[in-house]
Amino acid sequence: MNVVQLLTLEWKKFRNNSVFNLFGIMFLVTFPTAIFIGKEIELPAMVFNNSDFFTFPNNWEWMAYSGNWLVFFFLGFIMMNMVTSEIGFKTLRQNIITGMTRNDFFKSKLYVAIALSVGATLYYMACTLLIGFFHNDPYSLENAFAEPAIIGRFFLMCMGYLSFALLIGFVIRRSGVAIFTYTCYILFIELMLKWMVLSKVFDGSSMINYCPMNAIEDLTPLPMWKKMENVPVKDIDFAFLLTPTQASVTSSVYILLFIGLAYWHFMKKDI
Amino acid sequence: MSVLSIQNLSKNYGKIQALDNLSLEINKGEVYGILGPNGSGKTTTLGVILGILHADSGSYKWFNGQYGTAHRKRIGAILETPNFYPYKTAEDNLSIISHIKGVKTDNYDKLLNLVNLAHRKKSAFRTYSLGMKQRLAIAATMIGDPDVIIFDEPTNGLDPQGIAEVRQTLTEIAASGKTVIMASHILDEVEKICSHVAIIKNGKLLATGSVGSILSDEVTIELQAEDMNGLRSLIDSVPWMNKSKMITDRLEAQMDNNHTVAEINKLAFDRGITLTHLVARKQRLEEEFLEITK
Repeated sequence: MNVVQLLTLEWKKFRNNSVFNLFGIMFLVTFPTAIFIGKEIELPAMVFNNSDFFTFPNNWEWMAYSGNWLVFFFLGFIMMNMVTSEIGFKTLRQNIITGMTRNDFFKSKLYVAIALSVGATLYYMACTLLIGFFHNDPYSLENAFAEPAIIGRFFLMCMGYLSFALLIGFVIRRSGVAIFTYTCYILFIELMLKWMVLSKVFDGSSMINYCPMNAIEDLTPLPMWKKMENVPVKDIDFAFLLTPTQASVTSSVYILLFIGLAYWHFMKKDI
Repeated sequence: MSVLSIQNLSKNYGKIQALDNLSLEINKGEVYGILGPNGSGKTTTLGVILGILHADSGSYKWFNGQYGTAHRKRIGAILETPNFYPYKTAEDNLSIISHIKGVKTDNYDKLLNLVNLAHRKKSAFRTYSLGMKQRLAIAATMIGDPDVIIFDEPTNGLDPQGIAEVRQTLTEIAASGKTVIMASHILDEVEKICSHVAIIKNGKLLATGSVGSILSDEVTIELQAEDMNGLRSLIDSVPWMNKSKMITDRLEAQMDNNHTVAEINKLAFDRGITLTHLVARKQRLEEEFLEITK
């Protein structure tokens, strides 16, 4: 089956799925609205201004940072559900029995990950441009696209989370355990590994920033870090963030690794 | 023409040998029953030939390799349980199967009528009873007019009415000339529907062939008389009667099929034994199965 046939099939399967619909709507609603929290919070005036959230080019970074959390949560859960529910309902084995090849089944999920990432990136662009349009006077395209690389990094960030969700879904197979593992790894386990184990192994060097989720998070980091880098902090000789290039290359390697591992595991496993 | 050729298939689950050098040949138009006790390897065999389990060794070939990797699109199969998207209607689920098989159809009424489900075509699958789910699965196997239909324990978990409905549908499918492969441990079901059988136990093939060739030529005779001791010694002395045994208050024995019941009656009468019960019946698959898998 070709890309269109596989994506149409996935749409037929999941358009009435409650997790897909609920999390999809939540993502679509919260993504453009979460940034408006920025109107309410108090910031240290020396470093930030509330208008940074909404005006070009800073709003690209703030929207990307907020999208980082939302993609991890909503789209990651959708992706895992699209794999684990097929295993739970035994529709995966029925799809294969009916005539799909394992290769096509895997490709259909991979294409969903890519389609969700492309869709989320386009939505990110639309929301950011629209929010910027209403908060910039005068509005200029040159100003609006002053940092275009972040759009590519946003896409990579989406692919990073979704390929990880794909791997967890295919390997763990059980919906609840997969969600627990995915969430715990991203929020706690990697941090613990990073600071309690790897920092000792690498003697506190910035090598620990090359952990997979750290690299993916650093694609669209909290914009605050960028400004904090200029603030000298005594006794800290340590890069908190990977550079955009380092984060992009590292994340790309991990994305390929996650997809490769998920494919290898799925092809060799009984279903 | 060979539809399925299985050569020396083996599969282990840890220390358990699920399939042990299993070889089978199934030809076009056969209604083939795979018989075996629970855990004998029936579902594992079907799982391997349907591509969801990997065999440790051996091989299988569908349609002499005519359809390449797309061979499963020419097969309709249910394995263990009916598997559908629970939040989707019958129509939507059938539409997904059509999409996978590459069949263009929007009208599933004919199929749903066949299994008496047309009135529930807009209901979500999760609202169906087990019998309805099973019937929908049978309808799904017919999509794309497949060359081969595979059923694994098709009447499992159904109530008597459900069993009767599913058997009726299976009989109609079998009569249509399609190749049918059916795994079951319900011997009566296989005997009524199948033309050929394979009997497996512990993953090993014990016997295979047409149902007629699996059943022995002997006829089972049931006898009863006032003088059961005299009757027993008479039957044991007849060379063309063997395997005599008491079943509650009756004597049961196997008779070579070139003799008749009348000959037994005459022998008993000549010995002064008056028979109060004399019935001849052909060997049943259940008896042969128990004998083979003993």
